Amino acid sequence: MHATPHVTGYLSEHFGDDAFVTLEGYRARGGYEAARRALTALSPADVIELVTASGLQGRGGAGFSTGQKWGFMPRGGERPKVLVCNADESEPGSFKDRLLMERGPHQLLEGILIGAWATGAERTFLYIRGEYAHATAVLELAIREARSAGILGDRVLGTGFRHDVVLVRGAGAYICGEETGLLESLEGKKGQPRRKPPYPAESGAFGMPTTVNNVETFCHVPEIVRRGAERFRRVGTEQSPGTTLFGVSGHIARPGLFELPLGTRLDTLIHEHAGGVPGGKRLKGVIPGGVSMPILPADQLDVPLANESLRERGTSLGTGGVMVMDEDTCMVRVACVISWFFRDESCGQCTQCREGTGWIHQICARLERGEGRREDLDILLEVAGKMEGATICAFADAAAWPIQGLLRHFRADFEAHLGSEGRGAGGRGRCPFPHSFEL
Amino acid sequence: MARFKVDDVEYEAEAGTPLLRALDELGVLMNGVDVPHYCWHPKLSVDGSCRLCQVEIEGVPKLQIACDTPVRDGLVVRTDTARVQSAREGVMELLLLNHPLDCPICDQAGECQLQDYAFDYGVPAARMREPRRAAKKRQDLGKAIVFDQERCILCRRCVRFCREVTGTNELGVLRRGDRSVLETAPGLPLDNDYSMNVADICPVGALTTKDFRFKVRVWDLENVPGVCTGCSRGCNVEIGVARGNVQRYVPRRNDAVNETWLCDVGRLSYKEIGAPDRVRDVSVRGEHGLTPASLEEAIAGASKRVRTVLDEHGGAAVAGIASAHACNEDLEVFGALLDALGAGARGAPVPLGPSDELLVRPEKAANAHGARALGFGDPAPWLDRLGGGDVRVLIVLGHDLLGADFLGSEAALSEIGTVILLDTHQSALARVADFVFPARHPAEREGTLTNHAGRVQPVVRAVEPPFPAWTEGEILARLGTALGLEAFGSAPAPGPGR
Repeated sequence: MHATPHVTGYLSEHFGDDAFVTLEGYRARGGYEAARRALTALSPADVIELVTASGLQGRGGAGFSTGQKWGFMPRGGERPKVLVCNADESEPGSFKDRLLMERGPHQLLEGILIGAWATGAERTFLYIRGEYAHATAVLELAIREARSAGILGDRVLGTGFRHDVVLVRGAGAYICGEETGLLESLEGKKGQPRRKPPYPAESGAFGMPTTVNNVETFCHVPEIVRRGAERFRRVGTEQSPGTTLFGVSGHIARPGLFELPLGTRLDTLIHEHAGGVPGGKRLKGVIPGGVSMPILPADQLDVPLANESLRERGTSLGTGGVMVMDEDTCMVRVACVISWFFRDESCGQCTQCREGTGWIHQICARLERGEGRREDLDILLEVAGKMEGATICAFADAAAWPIQGLLRHFRADFEAHLGSEGRGAGGRGRCPFPHSFEL
Repeated sequence: MARFKVDDVEYEAEAGTPLLRALDELGVLMNGVDVPHYCWHPKLSVDGSCRLCQVEIEGVPKLQIACDTPVRDGLVVRTDTARVQSAREGVMELLLLNHPLDCPICDQAGECQLQDYAFDYGVPAARMREPRRAAKKRQDLGKAIVFDQERCILCRRCVRFCREVTGTNELGVLRRGDRSVLETAPGLPLDNDYSMNVADICPVGALTTKDFRFKVRVWDLENVPGVCTGCSRGCNVEIGVARGNVQRYVPRRNDAVNETWLCDVGRLSYKEIGAPDRVRDVSVRGEHGLTPASLEEAIAGASKRVRTVLDEHGGAAVAGIASAHACNEDLEVFGALLDALGAGARGAPVPLGPSDELLVRPEKAANAHGARALGFGDPAPWLDRLGGGDVRVLIVLGHDLLGADFLGSEAALSEIGTVILLDTHQSALARVADFVFPARHPAEREGTLTNHAGRVQPVVRAVEPPFPAWTEGEILARLGTALGLEAFGSAPAPGPGR
C-alpha cells in the first residue's frame, strides 16, 4: 500500500511531506489559522452554521450532517461537555484515518479544536484503535507540542477558551468503533453499545453531553473554516459535498488512498485512479465501503460514490474502504470470512446478533466445505433479514447486509458450492475459484 | 397521564413510563396483553437485549421493544400482528439454536419461560444442522447456586440483580458474541444474603438453587400462598408442597412488602416446618419426668394446678409470656385468658438479630408488631423477678426462654411451680415445663400476622403436621373452658389433631 495518495486534495496533499507532521511544519503551511479565526472571529453558533452550510457529512460510515450533530449539543448549562474523536478505525478495508493521523496529526487537532469551540467542549477524548501504535505515538507527540505551544490548555491560542485532548487507546474490539460502544469502553466498561435514547448529546461520556465524530470528519473542518462552505461544496455532489479518502485494496494494480470528490464514479476510481485489476483478470465484484457494506457486481460499477446513489444500488459508502475482487474470487469464501469476522466481533448483547452471526457463519462455513443444502441459502437470507434493524446498534445490520449482497449478486457461486444437494461430499472440489480471501 | 391503545383496548399511564412497565403496573402484562420478554424484569433496570418484546407502534416503521418504548398520549400498539409473531418466532428460534432440548431432565421444566414461550411462539423444528454449543454443566457459582452454562440465554437479569439490588456485583458476562458466558470472577463466588433470588429470576434452567434442584418436579408441587416467619418483614412466599412436606419457599410478589425478593435465610426457614425437633407429643411432668399424655389429660392437669394457685394466691400469681411468632388470633385468646385470670404480668420477648437495608428486619419474629398491638409488650422489666416467688404459674407460648437468655436460670424457673408450655419446637424450656403442648407452625394453620409496618397478612394451611398439634389459641381456649372461666364457656372442643 502506498502511504502517499495518488490524487490529492487538502486532506492529503501534505501526506508526503514529513514536516507537515510537526507543529512547526504545520504552522508554516498555514496551520491553526482556521482555529484562530474560529475562536476569535466566529461564535460557536457561527461555526455550526458554517459547517451545516458546507453540507459536511460524517465520514465514520453513517454520513450524518456534522453541523446538525454539533447543533444537538445543549447550549450553556452546568455540565461539562465532551467531544470524542472516534479513531477506532476497525472496519476491514478502511485505513484512511490511520494515514490522516500519522501524516497530519495537527490537521486533526485543529479540526478538533474548532469542533470543541462549536460544541463548547472542555475536553476531547481521542479514542484510538489499540493496534495503531505508530499513529498513537505521532499523536502523543503532536498533543505535547500543541500543549507547550499554548494551542491546547487553559488559554487556547491566547484566547479565554480552554481545551485539552486526552488520548485513549482501545483494546481491539470492532464494536468499540460504534459510537456508544466506544463511550462504554472509554468509561472503562465492556464495549457494548447503549440503548438510545438518551443520545450522546444528552448523556454521553460519563453522563455528560457528548458529540462523537470520526477522524476524517474533523480533518475537513479547518478547510471549511478557512475557505468557506461554498468552496467546500464546489466538489462532490449536492447531497454529498466535498472530497473523501477512498482506501482501495484487494485485487487492484495500485492499492492505496485516493482523495477524490464524492460522486466520483466507482469504475473511474478503480480503472483510472487505481489502475484496474492486475494480471489481465476480469473484475468480479467490489465492496464499496468496508466489509459491512453490500458488494456490487462488475456490471454495476457505473455508480457515483455517494451515499444517495449507492443506496439506490442497495449499498452504501460506509467508510470508503473499496475492496476489489477479481474473477478468481470465491464469493462463498468471501461470505465465510466476512461472517466469521462479524461472529467474532459481535458484542453478544442482543439475541439476533449474538446467535444470528454464529448461525450465519456456521452455514457459510458448511457451504464452503461443500456440505450445504439448497435450503441453507434461504435460511441465510431469512436470518439476515431478522437481524436487520432489530437490535440495539447497527452491528447486526452490518453483519446481515454483506451476506444479503453476496447472495443477491452471486447466488451462482453459492449454488456451485452445494454438496450435490447434500447427498455427497466433494463440493469444495467443484469450486471453480482458486483465490482464497482473507481479512 | 397518557392514554394509549394496545390491540384496540385503551389504557392510561404516566406519560414516559416504558410500555412493558405500564402494562405490568396495570396488571395486564401476560394477563390479557401478551408481550413475552426475557431480559425485562419489573424490579430491574431496562436492558433491551433479548429483543423478544418487539411490538408494532403505529407510525413507526420498525418494530420496537416494548420494554424501552415510552408511553405517550395517542400511542397505538399492536402485539397481535403477523409481523410481531414472526419477530417472536425469529428470536425464539435463535435462542433455541444452542439451547439443549432436554426439558425432561432439566430441573426448570414446568416453570421455564423458554419452554412456555417455545410452545406459544416457537417454531416446530430445529433448522440448524451444526451441533449445539457445548459448555460447562453444574458449575458451582457460590454457596447456594449451581449454573448450567448451556441453558443460559444471557438475559443478564442475574447480573443486574447483583448490581442493582444487592450491590455485590458478583456476576458478569465475559467474552463476546456467541462465546459470551455468565461468570463470577476468580475467587469471588456468588455469595450474598439474597443470592438465591437469581434462581427465581432466571427465566430458564441455568441458575438453580442447591437446596431445591432435582428435589421434586415442580408440577408435583402444590403452591400455597404464605408468609415467611424469619423476621418481622413478613415477606410473601409461595409455599411449595409435595408428598405432604414443604419443599421450598419462593418469593411471592408483593410490592408493598418484599417486591419480588426473599432473603436466603428466610427462604431456607421452610426447613423448620418439617424439622426433626418439632414438639410432637402432649406431655405432662410426673415422677419420671415428662411423659406423653392425651390433650384432655394435660388440659385437666394444667387447669387443676392453675385453679389451686388462683384459689391460694389469686390471679396475680399467673404470668404469661407470649410468642412474637404466634398469630394474632392466638394472642387474642391468650390475652383474654390472662384477663380472665387477672394475671399479674404479660409480655412477648422479641429475639433480635442482624438486619439490612433491603428486607431483613432486626426483629426475628413474624408477629412482633402484632404482639405489641395486642398488649404483649417487652417483658424484660419483670422477667428477672420471675424466680422471686411472686409468680406461681407461667404460661409460655413457643419461646426458648433459656436458650434465648430471656430468663435468668433453669433454677429460677423451677421455683415457679407450674410452667405450661405451648411450642412448635423442642427447647431447653421443656426441661422445666410441667405441661407441654405441640403447637402449629403458621404454615400449618389459618391466621394472621402483622408485619413491622402494621400490615396484617393472612396465612393459610399449606401442610398438615404428621402428629396431633393445635393452634395455641385452641389449647388456651380449652384451658380457659376447663378452668370454668366465663369468657371461655362456649369454646368449641378441639377435634383430634386440630
